[in-house]
Amino acid sequence: MKVEITYPPVEKRKQRKKKLIRAAGWVMVLAALVCPVVNLAVGGKAWSLIVLMGLYMLWTLVLSPDLVEYNRISQFIKLLLCSCIMLIIIELVIVPGWALFVVPIVGFCGLIVCAALFFSDMVKQRQNMLPMLNLIFFAALGSAAGLLWGGEAVSWPLAVMGILSLALLIACIAALGRDFLKEFQKRFHTK
Amino acid sequence: MKISTIINPFDGYIASLPEEESALLKEFFADFEHHCDLPWRDKRKLREDFEKAVMYYSSRGLSLERSLELLDTRNLGGFYARPPVLWFPLDDAAKIYPLSMERGRMSVFRLSVYLREPVVPEMLQMALDFTIRRFPSFATTLKKGFFWHYLDTTKRRFPVFRESDIPCRPLKVSQSGSLAFRVLYWKNRISLEFFHVLTDGTGGMTFLKVLTGEYLRLIGAAAEPSPELWNINDTPAPEEFENAFARVEQKGSASGFVDKSALQMNGRLAEQRPCRILHFRMDAARLCEAAKKHGATVTVYLTALMFLAGRAAIDELQGEQSIQIPVNMRKFYPSKTVRNFSLYCGIRLPIEKTEYLDEMIGEIQRQLEQKGSREAMDSMLTATERLVNLLKFVPLVVKQPVARLIYGFLGDKIFTTTLSNIGVVQLPDWMAEHVDCMDFVLGTAISNRASCSLVTVNGTAMFTIAKLTADPSFEEKLYELLESEGVEVKVEGSGFYES
Repeated sequence: MKVEITYPPVEKRKQRKKKLIRAAGWVMVLAALVCPVVNLAVGGKAWSLIVLMGLYMLWTLVLSPDLVEYNRISQFIKLLLCSCIMLIIIELVIVPGWALFVVPIVGFCGLIVCAALFFSDMVKQRQNMLPMLNLIFFAALGSAAGLLWGGEAVSWPLAVMGILSLALLIACIAALGRDFLKEFQKRFHTK
Repeated sequence: MKISTIINPFDGYIASLPEEESALLKEFFADFEHHCDLPWRDKRKLREDFEKAVMYYSSRGLSLERSLELLDTRNLGGFYARPPVLWFPLDDAAKIYPLSMERGRMSVFRLSVYLREPVVPEMLQMALDFTIRRFPSFATTLKKGFFWHYLDTTKRRFPVFRESDIPCRPLKVSQSGSLAFRVLYWKNRISLEFFHVLTDGTGGMTFLKVLTGEYLRLIGAAAEPSPELWNINDTPAPEEFENAFARVEQKGSASGFVDKSALQMNGRLAEQRPCRILHFRMDAARLCEAAKKHGATVTVYLTALMFLAGRAAIDELQGEQSIQIPVNMRKFYPSKTVRNFSLYCGIRLPIEKTEYLDEMIGEIQRQLEQKGSREAMDSMLTATERLVNLLKFVPLVVKQPVARLIYGFLGDKIFTTTLSNIGVVQLPDWMAEHVDCMDFVLGTAISNRASCSLVTVNGTAMFTIAKLTADPSFEEKLYELLESEGVEVKVEGSGFYES
């Protein structure tokens, strides 16, 4: 069976990239398996949890980013959430007693950056509103929960985070007007 | 630096024009400004498309007046001048595609038209600039909702690309404004690759015909309005973009998805998907004649040959082969929609009974009539609707991993291969004389080693095999069978993409 070639040759560069990502994936799987074993063997604090979270961050943010909704707001929020989880893990396994103060600071700084990313290019970024709404929701929820049940640990960053999340929500509604509802309708449709 | 390298070639061209023509051109681009309110980068690119087209016409000796007539900015309509408003929930068949896609694996299919002359990229770009507004559901970006994905309109300049990669490779649909289709050209071929989330073969073919028609008009073909071809200047109608599944009344029992595992061809799975594309170019009349000799339709006849060829690629001595056949629902429920409106059925035969062509043909015919009937499709449609209704309030964050797990586990194991016959494509006479043939490529599945498709135009039937294994047993046997049946086959395609 003689085949007449009617397709162009494929650029090797693109194939190399795929191979590199796959190889990096295997190295990370190996590291994810070895670290807990070494940690258990050596004993001491559970530092392997931090390594695992770091590997996850590297994988999800760099090597295998989102297949849908990969934009500056969604990626920034993903980085923010991963960083907060990392901070909480560090507190839990290495040095306790500071996360309830630091994480809300990271949270409200994140809200400010998010607002800047959104309002600097509103025409385009309004189509990327859902991740920001999620962040607002979780920031408000976290703040409310902290203020209600935090007891003595309640700190000013927690209150600032709550206020900023509500302010950002109001600013979004004010700036987008009827479009906010339209975006909301799209994002929460069940059709 | 030389002055000639600094000057934009188009500025040089304008400078060379007599004052009258220069004024005409200025007026033309002033009009362009009214038709385009895109962000500056896209606007500049769109303007450059017009500039390149004008210069192409000039190089061909066409008068400026005629060039501007062909490139009339009225063809842009208000598409680029208005902000995006529309959005489209995914149709019922499309919902699974974004849920089940993975890095490097996406349901992409491809339709190509082979012209009698090499493609002029500048004109193809202009044709796309003009055509896209007629297909608002294609000018969209896939977005994530809380419960389901959806398509959000994107207003930008949509580029065409010179082909340089594996056919049907996944599309990057992740970024703001990214598209779920691509337009490619290579020599005399124009190809459209679609993520299945947008459309099915019928909808894709409608777009390809309109795009090709517009391209041919721009390069000077004597275009005429025709019922086979959508007019790019008509206003899009809602029924052209409806979720036609929702219009069909649910009746009868719900069934049709689950089945036993089928035998798979044994070749080692390739890393590249697909690892090779093969086109069997055949004379449609000869193929039809061969099918008639066995008292079968072309689809039934080719399905039977595929069972025989599949047997040559499978080592197992027991078990069933199963061939998936997509069913166009438009034949039961006439619809103008260019969204997905097709389901499928599976033709199954025990491997030990895939020996004699005539015996198989009767059984395939019987199964196809039964499983591809309106009643069977209604049952499948009811099952689809019920599943969609059941899951509609489950957040995407929960649905997605479960769907991926189930799809990865079940995947395409219930089928050995697929045959999608898009049928005979009708082209208006003025277009047909510029078209050599067409092809239709199905993206590869997870474990099916071959996916087959057929399209017929201008008396040429193009049977395509998208391979997922280097083992050539299937296509060699199929080739041998067709030749032995008196159907002359010319084989075209790609080399192996395995690195």
